[in-house]
Amino acid sequence: MPPPEDSSQPRLAAGCRWGGTEEARVVLFPEGAIKLQGTGRQVLEHCDGQRTFGQIIAELQAQFGEADPAKIRSDISQFLEQLRHKRIVDY
Amino acid sequence: MTTSNPLALIAEITHRCPLHCVYCSNPLELAAASSELSTAEWLDVLRQAGRLGMLHAHFTGGEPLARPDLTALIAGARAAGLYTNLITSGIGLAGPRLQALVDAGLDHIQLSFQDSREDGANWIAGAKAHAHKIELSRIIRRYKIAFTVNLVVHRQNIDHLDEMIAFIEQLAPERMEIAHTQYYGWALKNRVALLPTRAQLEKATEAVGTAERRLAGRIRVDFVVPDYYARFPKACMGGWGRRLMLINPAGKVLPCHAAEVIPGLEFESVREKSLQFIWQQSPSFQRFRGEEWMPEPCRSCDQRTQDFGGCRCQALLLTGDANATDPACSLAPAHYVVESALAEANSTAAVSQPTSASSFVQLQRAETLWSYRTNPE
Repeated sequence: MPPPEDSSQPRLAAGCRWGGTEEARVVLFPEGAIKLQGTGRQVLEHCDGQRTFGQIIAELQAQFGEADPAKIRSDISQFLEQLRHKRIVDY
Repeated sequence: MTTSNPLALIAEITHRCPLHCVYCSNPLELAAASSELSTAEWLDVLRQAGRLGMLHAHFTGGEPLARPDLTALIAGARAAGLYTNLITSGIGLAGPRLQALVDAGLDHIQLSFQDSREDGANWIAGAKAHAHKIELSRIIRRYKIAFTVNLVVHRQNIDHLDEMIAFIEQLAPERMEIAHTQYYGWALKNRVALLPTRAQLEKATEAVGTAERRLAGRIRVDFVVPDYYARFPKACMGGWGRRLMLINPAGKVLPCHAAEVIPGLEFESVREKSLQFIWQQSPSFQRFRGEEWMPEPCRSCDQRTQDFGGCRCQALLLTGDANATDPACSLAPAHYVVESALAEANSTAAVSQPTSASSFVQLQRAETLWSYRTNPE
């Protein structure tokens, strides 16, 4: 399965949803839950099925101005690809 | 010892079931229909589970659809903040009821198949269920809920695993669970007919690996390994009293599906005690929690934090001693028990074929190969 294309619209996969409390946010899926903090949480909160992958990257690159934009892109791409393999994210 | 919160509740809401699968995970002594918890009692249990910080409620049985109040229970679990999972044969489910379950907040449905071939499937289940399951899968895919197809593999069907994987693929679930039979209750009783040969296992493991790579990103493949052939035992339930609480139809609270077979343990009922009390203080939940109880070679073994000494029920069932190292472990003093079962399985290669019969009663009369699961009174 290839990494997301710029025009794709990443979103939580069917039957996966946010849960937990504001301080301890988790994504719930059939076999368990993942705790999301910091960057991981920010990335997934952008994956609303509306924004395109290109938009998400641009927004987060702007937000993390200090870091290398190419590295931001490849990290996020890899993160979403891993979650897709677990069937937690679709794009 | 301080204990962290349990993660999930397994709600075995009834032992009644329209299927008679020869490897059913229910105990041989099924809970009577008249002993089942009421709707109000289950709703209270679900609220307690939410307050204890649990994340998931797994509704199972028997067949959970046999309870007419299932929709109310799903709604209750969602209201308590739980992720809801229905583990089902699909018998008793058609469009309108599924719509109601989804409206009540059902997150995930796990539908079991017994085979890709109708004759074989109905033979294992002791019922004509296969065609209905296929039709139901199409209806499930109309909803935005997670969909898993579960298929139990064993000596009688494992030779065409490739075909079964392709069959599941066209049902388009997010997940498939290919689970080797685990030998407790009914499956232990029928083990001779179910335990695969080593050659069958190797071929099947390869088929699963190939499917995993081919389906990556589309269908997640979960594989439940056969512990009889493993070097180390399974971390049963993620460790005794570490992550899960199971409530049986009559309200008894257990650390796992089979724990009632262990003599000398008393399991409290939700009718008498709170889940919190049971989790934190019940002697039954503390009995095999942690490492204090462990015998050698577990006690000094590096694997003990991974497998927690294996399964207590399997130790009891195969050695007569629930304190023993799980005999599935290659280091266990009683490993010879598993080795002799494997020797038997590998010496007789014959595989039986489905018997055609039009009813469960006919099948029961015709079969000498195995015992079908019966139903509670």
